Amino acid sequence: MRIPRMRFPTFGPTLYGLALLMVVLGIATPFLPIVAKVQLINFLLFVGLAYALNFITGLTGYVSFGHAIFMGIGAYALGGGIDRLGFPPLLGVFLGAGLGAAFAVGIGLVTLRFRGVYFAITTLVLFLAAKNIVPEISQLGEGGGIFMNLGFQPLAQFYTIWAIVVIEIGLTYWVTHGRLGYGLRAIKSDEDVAKTVGVNASRLKLSLFGISGMFTGATGAVYAWTLSAVLPETGFDITFSLRMLAMIIIGGAGTLLGPFLGAIIVYVPYNYFQTVQSLLGLQLAVIGALVLLIALFIPTGIVGTVRRYVPFLRRYIE
Amino acid sequence: MLQLDHIDAGYGPVQVLGSVSLAAQEGSITVIVGPNGAGKSTILKVITGLVRPTGGHVVFQERDITALPAHDRPALGIASCPEGRRLFPLLTAETNLRLGAYTPRGRNAADATMEYVYRLFPRLRERAGVKAGRLSGGEQQMVGIGRALMAKPSILILDEPSLGLAPKLVSEIFAKIQELRKGGLTVLMVEQNAYAALRIADFGYVMQNGQVVRSGPTKDLLDLEALRRDYFATG
Repeated sequence: MRIPRMRFPTFGPTLYGLALLMVVLGIATPFLPIVAKVQLINFLLFVGLAYALNFITGLTGYVSFGHAIFMGIGAYALGGGIDRLGFPPLLGVFLGAGLGAAFAVGIGLVTLRFRGVYFAITTLVLFLAAKNIVPEISQLGEGGGIFMNLGFQPLAQFYTIWAIVVIEIGLTYWVTHGRLGYGLRAIKSDEDVAKTVGVNASRLKLSLFGISGMFTGATGAVYAWTLSAVLPETGFDITFSLRMLAMIIIGGAGTLLGPFLGAIIVYVPYNYFQTVQSLLGLQLAVIGALVLLIALFIPTGIVGTVRRYVPFLRRYIE
Repeated sequence: MLQLDHIDAGYGPVQVLGSVSLAAQEGSITVIVGPNGAGKSTILKVITGLVRPTGGHVVFQERDITALPAHDRPALGIASCPEGRRLFPLLTAETNLRLGAYTPRGRNAADATMEYVYRLFPRLRERAGVKAGRLSGGEQQMVGIGRALMAKPSILILDEPSLGLAPKLVSEIFAKIQELRKGGLTVLMVEQNAYAALRIADFGYVMQNGQVVRSGPTKDLLDLEALRRDYFATG
């Protein structure tokens, strides 16, 4: 009965499984047909967003409705970096990550003082404000967007988003399995009591919001890279806020495997519906209904529910 | 060991405490009694740092901690069990205890303290793997006190330890509190159950409408007539 110290945690089956899957993807992708490559890039973008939101909403319980704001910041950072500063795309992604983190820390300093639904509403309002402010900036295309002549670079895009996802999974595992994991569970459960046992709740929340903003910004930058353009509608797209939430709610908020499962469940219909004319536009309705059902009947998502009802799997998935 | 010096505090525009001064002596049990809404819990929140006073000073072991954030206080040796226990309901009893040892002060002695807590409350050893939300009221109170003890405190702050417990359990918990004091711990608690609390405490404060109306060694306070007047605010 030992209190975990800040040491490198022991590895678990979920982490092994995810690591193996990512290694296979990393090795196999160059040999896949181009259609599959594009599919995988788009899928990993969803995975990247899911893990990014999981840091704040999954681990601390603070529901951010405005997370697409950081995608927009990342997208415009990439666009501005390439168009204005002559950056290569990868540097643009780093810029997106840096600005995403910086804005998240700035926004978090104020908004993380609100709790529950007030936090959710504030993030949503900030998103709406940003969506209207950023396109007004003349250096960033004044609402007309920024078009980048990047050509088709699927492998560079793939490995960038692949690396983002790998880092996210590793970091999620590290954060949840150390002493910080205990502190986070305390905050999620009862923030005031967490403080009275010595958890520096403000700092922990702000760090996670910063990390979350960083990865969302980086992923948003890669998304803009795949579109080779940044437009106000694709940069600041509220449906991505909703998809991010849907993914972690469906998969299991705060878990290691949940965001990945959620990304599969949200991405597959999203992608399939876009190819069938009569279903076009219905994907959000289907995902919305699914989220509603899960929130009502199995609020802990797939991972939480399986762990609860299938005891022998408890050791293998987390 | 702990002094409150002319504390004013409240929530927004509502002032709850007006110039409250009190002290807890090292190695003693101090109890604050009084009717609902007298400001007893607010005093404890000022001590744990969850409420920042608008006036006055909190001094702990000769250090002014008035402005110290709540999360830095356990490291000094201030641990609390809030009103209604406020355990982490979805985490097991044992994880709740472990969380009590979050600070280095608690962590370095965690194994030994855990054993101490289990010896103090043998029932908890059997219930270690049960989610805190599923424990009985008495067991939850034991986890609450145990969690505070895991921080290796020099002062233990208890908010209504008898709340919602059957009379038999109340005397059991109070006996444990006396046992802790014998081990050298300073205890400061708030109680509605004034009579029972004053019987185990060394020093008492009676509060009414955010002010201390009477204080002294508990044997002087155990005048039932006076207590009744304080509670019902008659005469």
